[in-house]
Amino acid sequence: MTKEYDFNNNIRNFSIIAHIDHGKSTIADRLLEYTGTISERDKREQILDDMELEREKGITIKSKAVRLQYQAKNKQKYILNLIDTPGHVDFSYEVSRSLTACEGALLVVDASQGVQAQTLANVSLALKNELKIIPIINKIDLKTSDPERVIKELFSISELKIKTEDVILASAKENIGTREILEAIVEKIPPPSGRPDNSLKALIFDSVYNPYKGTIVYVKIVDGSIKPDTSIITMSNQKKYEVNEVGIFHPKMKSTKKLSSGEVGYIIAGFKDIKDVRIGDTITNMSNPAQNSLPGYKKVTPLVFCSIYPIDNKEYGNLKMALEKLKLNDSSLFTEPESSQALGFGFRCGFLGLLHLEIIQERLEREYDINLIATTPSVMYRVTTKSNEVLNVSNPSSFPSKMEIEKVEEPYVKLIIISPSKYIGGIMELLQNRRGQFKNMEYLDEKRAKLDYQIPLSEIILDFYDKLKSKSSGYASLDYEICGHMESDLLKVEIMVNHNVVDALSFIIHSDKAYNRARKIVEKLKEIIPRQMYEVPIQATIESRIIARETIKALKKDVIAKCYGGDITRKRKLLEKQKAGKKRMKKLGKVEIPQEAFLGILKIE
Amino acid sequence: MDLGLYVHLPFCRSKCPYCDFNSYPLPEKQIIKNYIHALYEEIDIYSKKLKNVLLKSIYFGGGTPTVFSGFEINNLLNYCKSNFKIDNAIEITIEANPGTINRKKIEILFQSGINRISLGGQSFNDRILKRIGRIHSSEDIIRSYFQAREAGFCNINLDIIYALPDQSLKDLKTTLFKAVDLRPEHISIYGLTISPGTKFYLDAQKNLLNLPSEDIEFEMFRWAINYLKKNDYEHYEISNFALPRKRSVHNQIYWNNLPYLGIGAGAFSYINGYRYGNIKKPAEYIRRLSKGKLPIEQGERLSLKKKMSETIILWLRTRDGVNYEKFHQRFKTNLHQLFGLQIEELKKSKLIEEDTYSFRLSEKGIFLANKVFEEFII
Repeated sequence: MTKEYDFNNNIRNFSIIAHIDHGKSTIADRLLEYTGTISERDKREQILDDMELEREKGITIKSKAVRLQYQAKNKQKYILNLIDTPGHVDFSYEVSRSLTACEGALLVVDASQGVQAQTLANVSLALKNELKIIPIINKIDLKTSDPERVIKELFSISELKIKTEDVILASAKENIGTREILEAIVEKIPPPSGRPDNSLKALIFDSVYNPYKGTIVYVKIVDGSIKPDTSIITMSNQKKYEVNEVGIFHPKMKSTKKLSSGEVGYIIAGFKDIKDVRIGDTITNMSNPAQNSLPGYKKVTPLVFCSIYPIDNKEYGNLKMALEKLKLNDSSLFTEPESSQALGFGFRCGFLGLLHLEIIQERLEREYDINLIATTPSVMYRVTTKSNEVLNVSNPSSFPSKMEIEKVEEPYVKLIIISPSKYIGGIMELLQNRRGQFKNMEYLDEKRAKLDYQIPLSEIILDFYDKLKSKSSGYASLDYEICGHMESDLLKVEIMVNHNVVDALSFIIHSDKAYNRARKIVEKLKEIIPRQMYEVPIQATIESRIIARETIKALKKDVIAKCYGGDITRKRKLLEKQKAGKKRMKKLGKVEIPQEAFLGILKIE
Repeated sequence: MDLGLYVHLPFCRSKCPYCDFNSYPLPEKQIIKNYIHALYEEIDIYSKKLKNVLLKSIYFGGGTPTVFSGFEINNLLNYCKSNFKIDNAIEITIEANPGTINRKKIEILFQSGINRISLGGQSFNDRILKRIGRIHSSEDIIRSYFQAREAGFCNINLDIIYALPDQSLKDLKTTLFKAVDLRPEHISIYGLTISPGTKFYLDAQKNLLNLPSEDIEFEMFRWAINYLKKNDYEHYEISNFALPRKRSVHNQIYWNNLPYLGIGAGAFSYINGYRYGNIKKPAEYIRRLSKGKLPIEQGERLSLKKKMSETIILWLRTRDGVNYEKFHQRFKTNLHQLFGLQIEELKKSKLIEEDTYSFRLSEKGIFLANKVFEEFII
């Protein structure tokens, strides 16, 4: 038992949940400063977001934990564990695991923008985990702020059941409301309920790889306690480990003699592979194991897939190494070697969502300096063959031919969109075009409405968000969660250049849209493939039936008009460059096309 | 050493939107004077450095050389002549913009010893002349042409550009009918090149140019070649046509990859295996020479390989083509050993044609010359 604190009663575990940009990280900073957890000196803006990309995109990608010490108005000292959660729908599973480690959550809502789709998604996630919610209206210093309207909106969320006096008005930027928030955490969030003398149940809510210490697991001790030199076991896969070190986040890692129920901290125990420590899993004691694991563990499965190739094939080795390094810290990233006629050697990769994909792609290019080609993102289709075999196919090249297929199912999501009501018409049209099925519409107040749809995941992974933003002048927000598979009329379209299939350009698509998309690609190819010395046909086919065709006419004229004095050097260099460039061209069915042109096709839509 | 001398006069009344030459708006009188003075300085330096030089040609190019006064050009030419040895049959050319010359100026030019004039006509369609930013009309071209004749010029070149914005095949035909009717000794006909850094380049990116399609451009060039040939013009270089014995001496020095000396801002020289260019900005060019220094900015010594590549490519631009014996004489290397494979492939695809002594671009090859050139890059 810890002597300094009345056990459990003086611990509070909480998260901050918010729609993107509503000020979650700034509030966290103020709490850290107020409690003296960080000194003014090592303060950087938004302390919790330390990955470069996190700062740039303004979102939290990996969750983290910090321990704050706070002396409340009642003169008692408290330990407040802030568990930071990712702020994006791609990482909703990680959010939900972080939330299970808490007893309460600060719900931050922007005083001008009001309730957004992610606010709602977060609220229901928090309530599902039986968390006490403390609503905070942030950015009240802004001229455009309208706290009264936002309070009304919060009231309209029927599940939330809040009273006006529960709402804290704050401006993290101006340091208004910080003390009130800390007091509310102490007053309103219940202490953790576990008992230190029970069998150990530690919830894994995150893990990071450290080159010196190996994998470090972030846990909340729900029951029991843990100290070094004991044997533990991860319950989902029954792997055994010896504990080397336990500790807390202050905010840097600081080892302690033990972690007891209610506490949040880390465990180092010779975890070899990050894959073996699964977020949401329960750790228990070998000698006195718990009967049941904590609820809610799910195996995380990637939702969005694409192939990644180095532009220069010589960089394959670097790409491979970089992906392995990224996987050390990201158990949800899936990779598998792959080769393509058009692109050479690369990897088929699976991601939690489009943002996850973008982040990985950017990190590869930025941190590892590898130039990449990524193929069009796709989802995982479930194909049942005539012989009753079920295949999971994310790669068009392994999609079976129509004759072998009994049925194809595709993943669907439950989609929530919140938007000013004047844009609803346009948004519904967009959803209609994307094969969305209307479920419900609700008015949050006289000006804003919430839409519920069911929609194929494949329809929202390509440029959907941008379209939604442009249809709503940037005001609409969205959130989604996977809700199962449904049968669909899907088929594979192949693209042929000079009568050869270009594997990297094949795609799976709903039959209603196949023709249109094929037309667009074929036209774009015609536009960007330079003329060759002979005529080049470009065709799109379904099951070798041609559905679209264009012809690139033979090159007729390519001659330098002028060549005098200084031109001679210049023109020779130009020819040298062209010749060198040829070596870097991608060969598509014996047709050489420039690298940039190829990227152009992959960016179509 | 036989040498061609190029003199660059980099000023224009206004910059044409397609022009990527080293040219600048006409500055105040004093700068022109300083520029001429710098040219004298540069000639001085080279006349001391280069011994046993024999000038086969002098070429005043621009910019617009004719924005300088007749006397300025006369004096400049005299200075060149008194500092270098001159071949008896020397060709002396000046480029002239029909909008910048009158009878008197042409007479002075002729009397100063210039024996070839190159008129930048570009088109005989006033709508198109305006569209491409020329400061003269088609009438100006015809007037200056006859003034040149009357002054005594019996070697006149006319520059024509095709594949211009808003130009149809019919427009080009009309232009060439008129050009050939004048019977200039020499016609250069260039496909419009959209070069980075020009106004047309920006316009083209915004799709504002309405350029003829590649197919039309092809037809224009093909028609031009046939029409000029039919009218006794020899197609002796990709873009150049001449009546018998009227090929340009100066330009053939370039296409033979033989030495030339360029003076003036941005002018290029090729001497003793070095190709180098002068500083482009006139002010900086003047400043360097005022300190008695050569205004060289960039250059390279050509490796044997590059020399061979260049020579083949330049020879291929001409009707004479690549002569095996001539190549062997210059490089002491057997051409077939170097490029036998490429030559066979190009023959098979009918881009070149070969006889016992040489090979040259075929009719088809002229249109796809870059594809042929590429094969000879080492």
